[in-house]
Amino acid sequence: MSAIFDLVLGIITSIGGFVEVGSISTAAQAGSEFGFQLLWAIALAAVILALLVEMSGRLAVLSRRSLAAAIRERFGIHFQVIPLLAELAIDVLLLAAEIGGAAIAVKLLTGIGYQWWVLPIAIAIWLALWHCSFAIIEDGIGLLGLVTLCFVVSAWRLAPDVGDLAASLIPTAPDHHRTRYAFLAVSIVGATVSPYLLNFYSSGVIEEKLTAGKLWVNTTTAYAGTWFGSLVSMGVLITSAMVLEPRHIRVESYEQASLMLVPAFGRWATSLFAVALGIGCFGAAVEIALNAGYVFAQVLGAPWGANKPRGDAPRFARAFTLVLVGAVAIVVAGFDPLRLTMISVALTVMVMPVIVLPFLVLMNDPKYVKDHTSGAIGNGCLAALTILAALLALVVVPLEILGG
Amino acid sequence: MRYRLGCVGLLIAVVALTGCVRQDTRLLQHAEAFESLAATTKVIVEAWLSGNLSGTFTRTALEQTHALIERERTALAGSPRQLIDSRGARLSREAEALSRVTAALIADVREADAGSSRQHLSALPMQPSSSP
Repeated sequence: MSAIFDLVLGIITSIGGFVEVGSISTAAQAGSEFGFQLLWAIALAAVILALLVEMSGRLAVLSRRSLAAAIRERFGIHFQVIPLLAELAIDVLLLAAEIGGAAIAVKLLTGIGYQWWVLPIAIAIWLALWHCSFAIIEDGIGLLGLVTLCFVVSAWRLAPDVGDLAASLIPTAPDHHRTRYAFLAVSIVGATVSPYLLNFYSSGVIEEKLTAGKLWVNTTTAYAGTWFGSLVSMGVLITSAMVLEPRHIRVESYEQASLMLVPAFGRWATSLFAVALGIGCFGAAVEIALNAGYVFAQVLGAPWGANKPRGDAPRFARAFTLVLVGAVAIVVAGFDPLRLTMISVALTVMVMPVIVLPFLVLMNDPKYVKDHTSGAIGNGCLAALTILAALLALVVVPLEILGG
Repeated sequence: MRYRLGCVGLLIAVVALTGCVRQDTRLLQHAEAFESLAATTKVIVEAWLSGNLSGTFTRTALEQTHALIERERTALAGSPRQLIDSRGARLSREAEALSRVTAALIADVREADAGSSRQHLSALPMQPSSSP
């Protein structure tokens, strides 16, 4: 009974951290510019993420090591340096974008400039990191994140043609702005398959002491949770496609994006959008900062864990504090949060091969995954994913310049 | 010699043609951006008039839209070649009108003057022809 409860809670709370500034903005832009045409990109990204999340969870359950710790042990610190620095850089940028997104959400509610909210939000994030246990962070944020289901409700109320939606799951070339289309497709993948999600998930598995006997809980949570989260991204894209695209509104700001909920929710629309954006961004910010602490401490072999008193894990606490300070400095410097999001998403795509490649080795090493090594299908998927990640990494910068 | 001259001529023609195509694309992108911002202004004000948006949100959203219009105008004016082009010059004039009407609408919302905002909305330039 307890396992079923954990499973349901795990699936529901997957929404926290999944729906954040990157997924909301890329899906809103895609819908407003290309209608349903990029729905396939969200579905593809969800499949990739589900595969990687399941593997990182399986690795953690069976080896009692997080993804970062396993890579450090298997490949050595020299291999780890580049991905570690890349992940920390992406974490700082993403965190800045999330704090900016949360600050804009408060601005939408109050009308007071977003810069005034950056510091109070950063302090709230730090307090959550300092005082809350892993369960409170994971479940609390996840349950609050259920408000983002308003996008799914909105899409449902707008009653899109099911045939059109099904057809959009197959990639088709657009009749205009092809570079932009390709850029948004790559951005959706980058926004969904964030490296922090993988290590955060594997660290969470260890924090929650999931045992090998409950490996099915990990598998079900990874697949069902990812699909549940991607449902919200699809809701954003569908709503944006049905409300903003016919009016020729291309999303360049969150104020424009918030208008998409007006037909479904009337005078509650913008407040609902602001609350969904704020909670999504706040939740993701807490998880990104926590993950930075995890990665740093795990690579250095220092004590870590949100369930430990912070005084017992000083490097872990110092790392999330420093990353938070760095992110605040970027937002305060005046970088546009929406642009920051698109840059961090492009960076994520650039480092994706380095993130995916270790899975090929680790998931075939019985020392880590015992007799649960990847089969032919798993390895085939990973090989295809590595090639796809390498291709995306090659094209993302030209696409960012030409279509971003 | 004639072959070389022919090659140089062809190269110049290709570069000039590429420049023209790029200029066309850029002007089209600016025009689409202004149309999107005009449509945004229209939707925001109409939603405010029908009671779906609060005064605070409407003002904030219009100020943000105005900032984006100004950013786009700066980008358009940043290239003298685009302004010399008759289409670029017309776009620049219409964008200035759009900026002015949006500023007037911000003042209308601040003063909660629905009548004046309806008047300004009817004068909003650069609206997409097929918007619902």
